[in-house]
Amino acid sequence: MGYVAVKAGEELIERAEELFEKQRLDGDTDPVAVEQLDEQLGRLVDRAAGEGGLYAPRLAALAVKQAQGDTVEAAFLLQAYRSTLERWEETDPVSPDEMDARRRVSPAYKDVPGGQMLGATKDYTRRLLEFDLLEEDDPAVPGVGQEGVAPTAADGERLELTNVMDLLRDRGLVREPPGDPPEEPADTTREPVTHPPGRDEVLQELARGETGAITALGYSSLRGYGQVHPTLAEVRVGRLPVRVEHPYTGEPVRVTDATVTECEAVVPVFEKREQPAFAFGYGLTFGRNERKAIGMSVLDASIQLDSEAEPAENPEFVLDTVDGLDSFGFIEHLKLPHYVTFQSILDRIESIRERGGPAEPAADEQGGEADD
Amino acid sequence: MTEPGRGEPESPTGHRPEAEDTDDGDRTDGPAPASVDAAMEAFGEGGLAGYSYAYLDEHTKREVRRTMLSAVAIPGHQVPYASRPMPLARGWGTGGIQASLSLLGPEDVFKVIDQGSDESVNAANIRRLAADTADVDTTTDTTEADVIQTRHRIPEEVLTDEQVLVLQVPITDPLRTVDPSDAANRRRHAHANYGKMWLRLYESVAQHGEIDIGARYPVMVAGRYLMDPSPIPRWDVPKLDDADALFLFAAGREARIYAVPPHTAVEPLAFEDRGFTVERFDDRPCDVCGSTDTYRTEVDTGDGEVRLVCNDVSFCRKRQQRPGLPTDHHLDDPADAGEGGESA
Repeated sequence: MGYVAVKAGEELIERAEELFEKQRLDGDTDPVAVEQLDEQLGRLVDRAAGEGGLYAPRLAALAVKQAQGDTVEAAFLLQAYRSTLERWEETDPVSPDEMDARRRVSPAYKDVPGGQMLGATKDYTRRLLEFDLLEEDDPAVPGVGQEGVAPTAADGERLELTNVMDLLRDRGLVREPPGDPPEEPADTTREPVTHPPGRDEVLQELARGETGAITALGYSSLRGYGQVHPTLAEVRVGRLPVRVEHPYTGEPVRVTDATVTECEAVVPVFEKREQPAFAFGYGLTFGRNERKAIGMSVLDASIQLDSEAEPAENPEFVLDTVDGLDSFGFIEHLKLPHYVTFQSILDRIESIRERGGPAEPAADEQGGEADD
Repeated sequence: MTEPGRGEPESPTGHRPEAEDTDDGDRTDGPAPASVDAAMEAFGEGGLAGYSYAYLDEHTKREVRRTMLSAVAIPGHQVPYASRPMPLARGWGTGGIQASLSLLGPEDVFKVIDQGSDESVNAANIRRLAADTADVDTTTDTTEADVIQTRHRIPEEVLTDEQVLVLQVPITDPLRTVDPSDAANRRRHAHANYGKMWLRLYESVAQHGEIDIGARYPVMVAGRYLMDPSPIPRWDVPKLDDADALFLFAAGREARIYAVPPHTAVEPLAFEDRGFTVERFDDRPCDVCGSTDTYRTEVDTGDGEVRLVCNDVSFCRKRQQRPGLPTDHHLDDPADAGEGGESA
């Protein structure tokens, strides 16, 4: 029976795992410390944390290390771990106005209250390979601290950044998303999404979405497969306080901070002829990941159009395809054996051929639907 | 294994409340623990260090069991549940393993097959997860198992009323082939409006003279819901009809559970003049055990010869030792009828 089934599957799995580990450790260099990943490959770690939906930078760095740099695999490790944790408390809602911003740009206005704040970015640098990084024995740390660019008032107090959307809201130019916001937001990790989804569900799913998928679908709208081509009110990166209610005093207590990227986008709507306005799309994700936050805001705005005309505007299409765990798992499951189903469809093909039906493989027109 | 349809939702199946006087107290049975703390303490000793007994926390297992009860109550109807991210990739049996882990207790015997084989690496991986976290005994013998998790097959040996078959499901809705929208398809199910599927079958007959569906053959359950039986071959579809065992269909990626309870009518869609047919093997027996009444798959041995061999590897082994062993051999002797308890 040796040619039918692999014997001793457990032993084979263990050997494959060992081989995978060996790949990581076979070279001459020292193992990478999770601290190094967290500090020096922060964007990689942030991406895993965002897609994993778990803000735990050290664990995210561990996941990236264990996954040998595959962000989707790392996010998968984090989500699987998160699902085993008991949920003790929910944090208090926090306004993005409280953000301790390290970077904030507003493409909509030349100048905004609080000012443009470039922060740490490579957006405007020439993308040239820096060969100096090949040998970096004792790098000189540039002198500019991040705090150096944060806006402060004359008395040294930090300035709270005025939300650019609020400027438009004050002028009555913003059309709020349809429907009342729910009292308690849904939690799509505990309640399955059914269609049509609420906006809270859409935003949660997008926030955990795979960065590449969010970028691609958001781009599809700009590329012409959709109507949304937004102007960004602002993009921010910074830290938000995480507060929970104290179990005894009932007072909110700040327990930690979380680094997030936030994006607000405005889209002109001319639905009411006499009263055109701006609809807005929102994006927020853990860590520094501006591309994903912007893509998310495009998709949020597109989904509010709730049309089936374009992929990015169809909430079912978007939510069914942006989840990295789902797409990664199902795409890769094709590697599993399929000989039972293959035998079954083989029987149909042969039977129809014997019958003398059309010679072309018309039976396959459903895209091999039966073969999962 | 008790049938979940009759057990208390709060009680892990297979453990009746009278089991309170467990000797070691490691795992409580019966009444729900008073608090999450109590539950966690009670299960703290079993399974894998650092994780709950049977991996999932007790709230999740309860939710999954309640979903199963709803599914049993409405045969063939897809019940949504909040599928958890599991330590297996989605599409690799995460729905099945959530269902299995929610059912299993430490006394249960568990069997896992993937495409008919206990020894495929994916089956081995799932079995390892259950053995490590739920501390269950495992077996390859269909008749010994209380819970069998399977991908794409129903075992050849007849299942008894003490067994549960958990089928892994990649695509939950048979209507997906005619419309990708879940919202639209849920409406169709609500109205029992299956015209599009009938049309799809009719078009196949008109074009090819017969129905071109291989596995995943659409069936009507209890005369009401159109159901995707998961990608089992057509060969296995008749086994669902009026069976003694409970069939649970669990999808992780698509977050749905549905069921065919025991003794439920399951009828493949077909026309009077174009009936439902199973796979044909042209009377070629299994090359190993000589069976002609089992599902066989082709094996290319590389020497230019294509051989047919049994797909249910475990039963093929039995047949090699006892040629002609009937698929219901264990039913004659009740002592051998899937009582389980002993591991293999």
